[in-house]
Amino acid sequence: MPTSEDLDLLRGTLDLLVLRTLSWGPAHGLAVLRWIERVTENRLQIEEGALYPALHRLEEKGWLAADWGFTEQNRKAKFYRLTARGRRQLTAELSKWSRYTHAVGLLLAADGSR
Amino acid sequence: MSTDPDTPLRRVFRLPAARSRVRDSVDAEFRFHLEGRVDELIAQGLSPREAEREAWRRFGDLDDYRRQACSIDEHIIREQRRMDLFDTLVRESRQALRSLSRNPGFTLIALLTLAIGIGATAAIFTLLDAVVLEPLPYAHADRLVTLTSPVPGVKPDARWNLATGEFFYFRKNSRSFDALGLWIATPVTVMGDGRGQHAERAMTALVSASLFDVLGLHPALGHLFTAADNVPRDPGGVVLAHDYWVRRFGSDPSVVGRSIDIGGAQVTVAGVLSSGAGLPDLHIDLWAPLHMDPAEEAHNQHTYHAIGRLKPGVTAQRAQAELAPLTARLPEALPSAYSASFMKGTGFSTAVTPLRDALVGEPVARALWILFSSVALVLLIAVANVANLFLVRIDAHRREMAVRGALGASRLHLALHSLAESMLLCSLAGLCAVGVAYAMLGAMLRLAPHDLPRLAEIHIGWPSILFTAALSLGAGAVFGLLPLAHSSMDVGALRDGSRGMTPSRHRRAVRSALVTAQVSLALVLLAAAGLMLRSFQRLREVQPGFDPRGVVTMSVALPYNRYDKYESVNAFYEQLAAQLRSLPGVTAVGMTQVLPLDGHDGCSSVFTDTPPTSSSERAACVPEGQVTPGYFEAMGIPVQGHIPDWLENDARTGGVVVSRALAQRFWPGESAIGKGIKGNGGQPPFYHIVGIAGDVRAEGLDRPAVEMVYFPMLPIPGAFLWSPPNQMTIAVRTRGVEPTSLTPAIRARLAEIDPQIPLADVEAMEVLVSRSMARTSFTMLLLGIAGAMALLLSAVGIYGVISYLVGQRHTEIGIRMALGARVSQVSAQIVKESLRMAALGVLVGVFAAVALMRVLGSLLFAVSPTDPVSLGSAAALLLAIALAASYAPARRAARVDPAQALRSD
Repeated sequence: MPTSEDLDLLRGTLDLLVLRTLSWGPAHGLAVLRWIERVTENRLQIEEGALYPALHRLEEKGWLAADWGFTEQNRKAKFYRLTARGRRQLTAELSKWSRYTHAVGLLLAADGSR
Repeated sequence: MSTDPDTPLRRVFRLPAARSRVRDSVDAEFRFHLEGRVDELIAQGLSPREAEREAWRRFGDLDDYRRQACSIDEHIIREQRRMDLFDTLVRESRQALRSLSRNPGFTLIALLTLAIGIGATAAIFTLLDAVVLEPLPYAHADRLVTLTSPVPGVKPDARWNLATGEFFYFRKNSRSFDALGLWIATPVTVMGDGRGQHAERAMTALVSASLFDVLGLHPALGHLFTAADNVPRDPGGVVLAHDYWVRRFGSDPSVVGRSIDIGGAQVTVAGVLSSGAGLPDLHIDLWAPLHMDPAEEAHNQHTYHAIGRLKPGVTAQRAQAELAPLTARLPEALPSAYSASFMKGTGFSTAVTPLRDALVGEPVARALWILFSSVALVLLIAVANVANLFLVRIDAHRREMAVRGALGASRLHLALHSLAESMLLCSLAGLCAVGVAYAMLGAMLRLAPHDLPRLAEIHIGWPSILFTAALSLGAGAVFGLLPLAHSSMDVGALRDGSRGMTPSRHRRAVRSALVTAQVSLALVLLAAAGLMLRSFQRLREVQPGFDPRGVVTMSVALPYNRYDKYESVNAFYEQLAAQLRSLPGVTAVGMTQVLPLDGHDGCSSVFTDTPPTSSSERAACVPEGQVTPGYFEAMGIPVQGHIPDWLENDARTGGVVVSRALAQRFWPGESAIGKGIKGNGGQPPFYHIVGIAGDVRAEGLDRPAVEMVYFPMLPIPGAFLWSPPNQMTIAVRTRGVEPTSLTPAIRARLAEIDPQIPLADVEAMEVLVSRSMARTSFTMLLLGIAGAMALLLSAVGIYGVISYLVGQRHTEIGIRMALGARVSQVSAQIVKESLRMAALGVLVGVFAAVALMRVLGSLLFAVSPTDPVSLGSAAALLLAIALAASYAPARRAARVDPAQALRSD
C-alpha cells in the first residue's frame, strides 16, 4: 500500500501515464493497467481500482472519450480513447515534465563553484 | 429518498433511471476488469479461488471506487443534458431567425402590427396605472381619506368642505382617525429682496400642523409647525417646499431662520420640506400655518379641505357610519353655526372618501378604463391579423411538418419549433412596443387635459415594462401553439398535399370568423369614436355666454399690508383699468373675482328683499363675486338694463347685475330690475339690481349656465361684502393684435402703479375655453386614433383573407372560367364574399355597440349612446372598407388564365 504522500504524487503521474498509454490507440482499463505495469516494471504500486476514478475524471474533463465495444475475445468492454483536447493536454504535460526534469538535472549536476 | 426501482414514476423521471444505468455501466466495467485478471492469474497457475481472491485484493476497495466513478459519471450526464438543452435552444432560435428573415414581408407586417398594438396598449396602461391604479405617493396611502359634506338641498351634486369648528368637533369625538388635517391653498406675493430678485406669486398652503402627520411629510431642514403655530396669536413661520427652496433660494441652507417678505409681512422660514413632499396634485411653494382657534366661536364657513388618516383596519365606510350620528348632533354641539333647519334644508351630512378616489374621480377613471379597453380591442384585432398570417404559414408548412412528424419528431418538438419562431417574433415586437409606448405616451401627455389628476406621476416604469413583456410573451405563446390546435400535423397532409391544396372548409371558417370578429370590434370602436366626435361638435356649438375671441386674462394679488381697505383696493384697480385701457389695441378692461371656466365652483346663499316662498329656492347656493365696471364689455357678456360705471361704483350706489337665470328663478314673470338683493343675511340694506346679464356657462360648457350675482367693488354703507377683493382676474379685450402679445406692455403699466405686484396666470380666454373641453377632445382623439387603427387593421385583415382565398381557389376559378363564367361574375363573387364577412361583422358589432355604448355615459354630451348617425357611419365606413379591400383580389381573380390555372396543379 502506498502512503498518502505517494498517492498525491501518483495522481498526477497516473493521469499522465493514462494519457500517454491512450496516445497509441483506444484501450480498456485493464489494458491500460497492463501497459503501465510493463513500462514501470511493476514498481508503481497502486490499487488497480484507483485507475477507474482517474479514467472517469479524465473523461469528465473531456480529455478522454469512452465507448462500449468488444475485445478480441469478443467480450464487452469499455474502451477509452484520447480526444483532441486530451492530446493537446498530453503534449503540454510532457513538455512541462521535460522542462522540470531538465531543471532538476541541471540542479543536481551543479558542482558548487561559481 | 426511497426509490423503488419499479414504480412508474421512476420510469417517467429520467434522473433515477440514469443513475441506475450509470451504476450498471460501472459494475460491468469493473466485472470485466476482475474477470480478465482472474483469467490471467489462472493462466499463471493459481487455482480459481486463489486467483479470484488475488484479483479482488489487487483491485482494492471496490465500493469506494464504484462510488467515485458513479458520482463522476452522473455529473457527466447532467452536464451533457444541460448542453443538449442549450444546444436545442440555440439551434431552434437560429432556425427561427433564419425562417423569419427568409420571409421579410411576413415578419415586417407581423412585427409592425404587434409592436403598434402592444405599444398603444402599454401606453394607455401606463396612463391608467399611474392615474387610477397606483397608490398615492404617501406612507399609508391606502388609509388616507377626504372628508366632505354633501348638501343635496343646495344643489344635487354639491359638496362642501369642512369648517374649523366642525373639524375640532370631529377630532375630539371621532375614534376612526389616527390624525385629521385641514388645508386651503391661496396665492401670495413673495416680495423682491432688492438684490435682483423680483416679487413673484407663490402658491401657499395654509395648513393645520396635523396635516404633515396625516400625510407623513418630513422636513429636510429645520422644523415643521406645531399645533401652537395654528393659534392666531402666534405669528408662526413658513415652511418652504423643496423645489421652491432650490429655485428661489438656490438650495441655501442658511435660509432657515431668516425672514422673508410675504405680501408685506416679515415671516421666518422655519424649515424646508423633503424633496417631493407635497399636497396631492396641487403644486405648493410655501406652507404656512392655518390660523384657527378651538376657543373661537364656530362659523358655518365650509372652506377647508380635510384629509384624515384612518386607524389601521378602519374602512372609509365605517368611518362615515361613525361620523353620521356625530354630524346629526352638530346643532346641539355647535349651535352658533348649525341649526336644525339648516341641517334639514341642505341635507347636510359628512362623506368619507378614499383620497385617491376623491382625487381621480369617477369620470376620469371611467374615461381611462374605456380608453384602455379600446386599445385592448385594437390589440385583439391586431392579434387576429397576425394569427391569420401565422395560419397561412402553417398551411404552407403543412407538408414539411407532416414529414417531420412522420419521421418521428414528437408533437412537442414540432410545437417547440413553431414556439421558438413566434416567441422570437413577439419578443422583438415587445422591444419595439416599448419604444412605441414611449413615443405615444409623450404625445399623449402633450395633449392630455392639464387638470388630469396625477399628471406628474406618469412615466414608463416597471409595471409598464412587465405589462409589455407579459403581452408579448402571451401573444408569442398563442401564435406558437396555434399549430397544436390546428390539426395540421396529421399524416393525411402527405396524402392530400399533392392535390391542389383547396383549403378545408374548417380552416376557411376559422379565418372568416377571425375577420368577422375584427370587423365587429372595429365597429364598436368606430361607433365610440363617432359618439365622442359628435359630443365634441355639440360642445363646440355651445354658446358659452361670453365672447372669448381677442380676450387675454391674467391675475393679480394685492399684498394685504398695503391694500387692506376697500378704498385702496378699489383705487388700485380703477387706476390699472384706466392705464390698460389706454394701451393701443385694447378695447375694454375689466376685473372679476370669478372668471368663467377657471375651475372655481364656490357659491353662497343670497337673500332678496322679496323672499321667495319655497324654502329650497331660499337655500340655493349661488356663485357671486365682485366685478369692476368694464368687466361685461371686456368679456363680451350682453347686459340688459344698466351697467354701473366707475363713477357710480365709487359713489357706492349699490347697483348690482344678476344673471338672467337667477332673475327668472327669483322673479318669474316680472322684471328683476330694481329688486333688492344681498349676500349675507336677510336684513336691509339691500343692493338693488340694475342690469340682467346673459347666462354664462362658468362651470364648463357641458354644465348648465350658473346663476350669478355680480357685486360692485365697494360695499354700500351698512352692508357687508366679505373682505376687500385683493385677488382679481383681469380681462383685457383686444382688437387687431395677438391678445397675449400685450403682456409685456401690461406688465410695464402694472409696474408703474406698483412694482411689487407680480402678474400671474396670463392666458388667452380662448385657451381656457378649449382647455375646458380638453377631457372630451382628449378622449375623442384617443378613441379616434383607436378607431382609425381598428379600421386600418380590419382592412388589412379582410384584404389578407380575400386574397388568400383567391390564391387558394386559383384552380376553381380557372375551371369556372373555362366553363364559361364571365370575368365580371368571378369578380362579383369575390367582392360578395368580402361584403358577406364584413356585413356579418357589422351586424354583430352594431348589437355589441348598442349594448356597450352606455358605459360612455357622462363622457357624452348631448348625444344618445345609440345615436343612429354614429352607428350608421361606422357601419357604412366598414362596408366601404370591405369593398375597397376586395378590389385588388377581385381584379387578380379576373385575370386568371383558365388554361394556365388548370395546368399549374
